[in-house]
Amino acid sequence: MNVSASPAADITGAPRNPDVDMIKTVLKVDRNLLMRLRRRDPEALRTIVDEHARRLYRAARGMGHTTDEAEDLAQDALVTFIESIDRFEGRAQISTWLFGILHHKSQQRRRSKLRDDLHDPIDAVFESQFDARGNWIRPPVAPDRDVSSREAREAIQGCLEGLPPLQREVFQLRQMEELSAAAVSKVLAQTVTHIGVLFHRARMRSRACLEGKGWSHLP
Amino acid sequence: MMSCKDVSTLVSTGSLPDAPLVRRLGVHLHLAMCRHCRAFRRQVEAIARAARTLNRVFEGEPPSSFETKVVQRLLS
Repeated sequence: MNVSASPAADITGAPRNPDVDMIKTVLKVDRNLLMRLRRRDPEALRTIVDEHARRLYRAARGMGHTTDEAEDLAQDALVTFIESIDRFEGRAQISTWLFGILHHKSQQRRRSKLRDDLHDPIDAVFESQFDARGNWIRPPVAPDRDVSSREAREAIQGCLEGLPPLQREVFQLRQMEELSAAAVSKVLAQTVTHIGVLFHRARMRSRACLEGKGWSHLP
Repeated sequence: MMSCKDVSTLVSTGSLPDAPLVRRLGVHLHLAMCRHCRAFRRQVEAIARAARTLNRVFEGEPPSSFETKVVQRLLS
């Protein structure tokens, strides 16, 4: 076993691990930023807004809110974060914390909890594409059309709008914001496994919807 | 040997990066040999690309004064 690779090696004077050094620097910067945010330092506030406001706005739009609602929600999430910053211990990522607040605010605005159906008919659709041994019955065909076109964008927008809200949120956070399954599980208070299930359903629903619009040759 | 259903489920749930090494290798081996599952993966990737295009449109939506407005609210 290579002793110098263990975390303790740093303390015992063995060669330092550059990754650990980098993480320590990031944590130090964050702690410094947190202290300044607690003092309402204008420059620190500007930093946090520049880094997160547009991202929060984008996520709110992706979750199906209008432009005005998304502006309000992004602002409210940041205001709540700053107001509750004394409770933020810096152990979580600021972005995870902010997305959690955004999710909560979004639910309040919808005035209802996002329903999470344990059974989704899309599961049966997916199952029906395989035989008993798990082989494709009608093999999928790779898409041959340009998915970056305006037409494709409008098609996917329509399909995402048709997703159940919780699946849509998972799709937004996992696919667009590229948050890890672990981070999204914290944001939405769901297990990591269930986040995978919801992501899968969102993708398979979008796939079926795009097929309905003639966007791909799908089984 | 993993089935097409196992492989496409792992791809679609996004749980591949967190899967044990043996399972990840199994998926890569299967994908190398199975063009149907490669086609499925390309479908999933195409959905992701189209969605990211949409996200860029959202990002450009709020006016450039948006950040300034938020900072002002935080300072008030």
